[in-house]
Amino acid sequence: MARLVAMQPRQASPWASSSSPLLPSSLSEFNGAALSISLQKRRRTWQPKGALQVTASSAKKILIMGGTRFIGVFLSRLLVKEGHQVTLFTRGKAPITQQLPGESDQDYEDFKSKILHLKGDRKDFEFVKTSLAAEGFDVIYDINGREAVEVEPILDALPKLEQFIYCSSAGVYLKSDLLPHFETDAVDPKSRHKGKLETESLLDSRGVNWTSIRPVYIYGPLNYNPVEEWFFHRLKAGRPIPVPNSGVQITQLGHVKDLARAFVTVLGNSKASKQVYNISGSKYVTFDGLARACAKAAGFPEPEIVHFNPKEFDFGKKKAFPFRDQHFFASIEKAQRELGWAPEFGLVEGLADSYNLDFGRGTFRKPADFTTDDMILGKSLVLQS
Amino acid sequence: MAAAVTIAAPALPSRHSSSCSLPPLTHRSLSFVAFTSPTITKLSSHRSPRRFPSAPSTSAFSIKAAAAAADKKRVLVVNANSGGHAVIGFYFAQQLLSSGHEVTVLTVGDESSDKMKKPPFTRFSELVSAGGKTVWGNPAQVGDIVGTAKFDVVLDNNGKDLDTVKPVADWAKSAGVEQFLYISSAGIYKPLDEIPHVEGDLVKDDASHVSVEKYMAGLSFSSWAVFRPQYMIGSGNNKDCEEWFFDRIVRDRPVPIPGSGMQLTNISHVRDLSSMLSLAVENSAAANGKIFNCVSDRAVTFDGLAKLCARAAGRELKIIHYDPKAVGIDAKKAFPFRNMHFYAEPRAAKEILGWTGTTNLPEDLKERFDEYVKISRDKKPMQFDIDDKILESLKVAVTV
Repeated sequence: MARLVAMQPRQASPWASSSSPLLPSSLSEFNGAALSISLQKRRRTWQPKGALQVTASSAKKILIMGGTRFIGVFLSRLLVKEGHQVTLFTRGKAPITQQLPGESDQDYEDFKSKILHLKGDRKDFEFVKTSLAAEGFDVIYDINGREAVEVEPILDALPKLEQFIYCSSAGVYLKSDLLPHFETDAVDPKSRHKGKLETESLLDSRGVNWTSIRPVYIYGPLNYNPVEEWFFHRLKAGRPIPVPNSGVQITQLGHVKDLARAFVTVLGNSKASKQVYNISGSKYVTFDGLARACAKAAGFPEPEIVHFNPKEFDFGKKKAFPFRDQHFFASIEKAQRELGWAPEFGLVEGLADSYNLDFGRGTFRKPADFTTDDMILGKSLVLQS
Repeated sequence: MAAAVTIAAPALPSRHSSSCSLPPLTHRSLSFVAFTSPTITKLSSHRSPRRFPSAPSTSAFSIKAAAAAADKKRVLVVNANSGGHAVIGFYFAQQLLSSGHEVTVLTVGDESSDKMKKPPFTRFSELVSAGGKTVWGNPAQVGDIVGTAKFDVVLDNNGKDLDTVKPVADWAKSAGVEQFLYISSAGIYKPLDEIPHVEGDLVKDDASHVSVEKYMAGLSFSSWAVFRPQYMIGSGNNKDCEEWFFDRIVRDRPVPIPGSGMQLTNISHVRDLSSMLSLAVENSAAANGKIFNCVSDRAVTFDGLAKLCARAAGRELKIIHYDPKAVGIDAKKAFPFRNMHFYAEPRAAKEILGWTGTTNLPEDLKERFDEYVKISRDKKPMQFDIDDKILESLKVAVTV
């Protein structure tokens, strides 16, 4: 069994599930005892002890905009466990709570009994303003906001708001030849995520105590964005993985549980006031490498990868590959240095967690659709013959 | 853990706010003082009080330099006489001298050798003016060469294998040297799907530098550290880096880049490496037993670097991508960087030494281009045999 080195000793993790075997992050190992000792010491210093302890007097009244689909599912549990009063603001279309795979009945019942729900449509600005003003929340976690206008009624409703914690996106960074993206880098006012940028600016201009988190690609159990699921479908079907162009494009995945922990770490943290943090995994990965990592994590043989030129196809509205066709990764060192947060999941390990708790149990969000694959494979077969 | 003199200013908020913005002057003026005004810091052999450089306006510099005087070290740099790493010893020596340390540079071979006609050796007079000593010889005889001189710190910036470094390390141990530093190479990391190379990652079993690293670790120096660099730019560089791009760009030739051009590499200004080494000297306890990726904190793609070089030169750029195998050429001879993702990050230095990077490729390349023109390299007649072979096989016309 490969040595489990280079890994932080796990603190009592709320997600610990006896049915998820920990695969070693075997892509990163030590050579030489002296070196591993020094590096382990280094790792431990990143994490302040007792970072997640909250006394009764510092329990907050928290509202999460959203919270029933992915990030919020994990975040709300952490916050409830810490003794905060947590309300989810949703339209109620999805069940307010669902038992997580691997979550004990006891834990689920406990969570379910404590979580509160405020039913409404956040696009109904009047309702948002009046209902939030009536309740009076200490802290807002805005997990699903896209446009600045959606945030205005929240700020109007809560003049004494202690902290507004926003889920932004690393997608706001201007494309650059110099990577990784640091929080100080230029942002792109024309990007698809400009609503996130405008929200950050609004928060800053309103003088509220805000913190903005910029994730890259998020993955983990219950992911509704077909990131790892896209690979798992193909691996399960024994199909080759079509990757655009060279396959050396570099991307970055961050586990949802690590992201949730980062969100908790900034709560009530004065260092995080008016700060932006990139939150993702510690390392980056090529497209080809990610295909291999998914296979490794899920126990499939190494996949066949077929490279294709996207320009040769018209896929219509369908996406032939789940990632933007460029290098895209961000440095998390600011969060590590200032917040003492560090990701716990390595890539293969995190993908295994996702597989074991979700796809591997037969659950997924989007059914397999190999239409674009067949277009690509059909053409490549023609070229080979 | 107070860092003594750091030439790099603390990371400034808008350092990279746009790819072409000028960095705030602070760190640049400091670096100019350290590297281009050696006449200001003259150290006499009797250790009379130093005069501090007058140019930098920040009092932090003189305070830190005073602190350094209290911990003055006697440093021996064993330096290669050629190759991409040669320039590291030169910058390191300059920085140490301007911080008030004593420095001797032992360069491999003979002072009269033709190799000494190339930079950085052509600038060794600057080290002497700054109070440093320069000697030549065979590192295997280092004890004879330095005689009774005592050193606190030794940096081996020469050997790639144990045969070459062992005599130096053994001598250092027996001579009571407290801190032993070694310039290894980030090239020893095993290429993996996950990027970047981080200190502690797997290295290639057969890499000769690895045996040196392991040997040093076993010698029980009070402090030892290993530095793994990649590629460097900077005045005094012995090996072409950005020049390879400038040569083609100023002659309006296409720039042939193997593969997709998306391969990542790390091009650091050598001042980032010397500042890291200096921090290790001044924080020897913290640095003890550590590996440091001795690189800047940004990656650049091959295509990206070509673009930045063209922008620095104010010229048009034409990139041609090719498959070395299909063309039948050795990519190692045809292109200055390894044809693959090769990107290490300086995480240990940031965390353990409080090091910050100052490499700013858009700005640094402008300076490099200015020097390229100043020495008239843009006018030098050149042959591009391998390029021509590539272009011919791709049937690309070169209009002259």
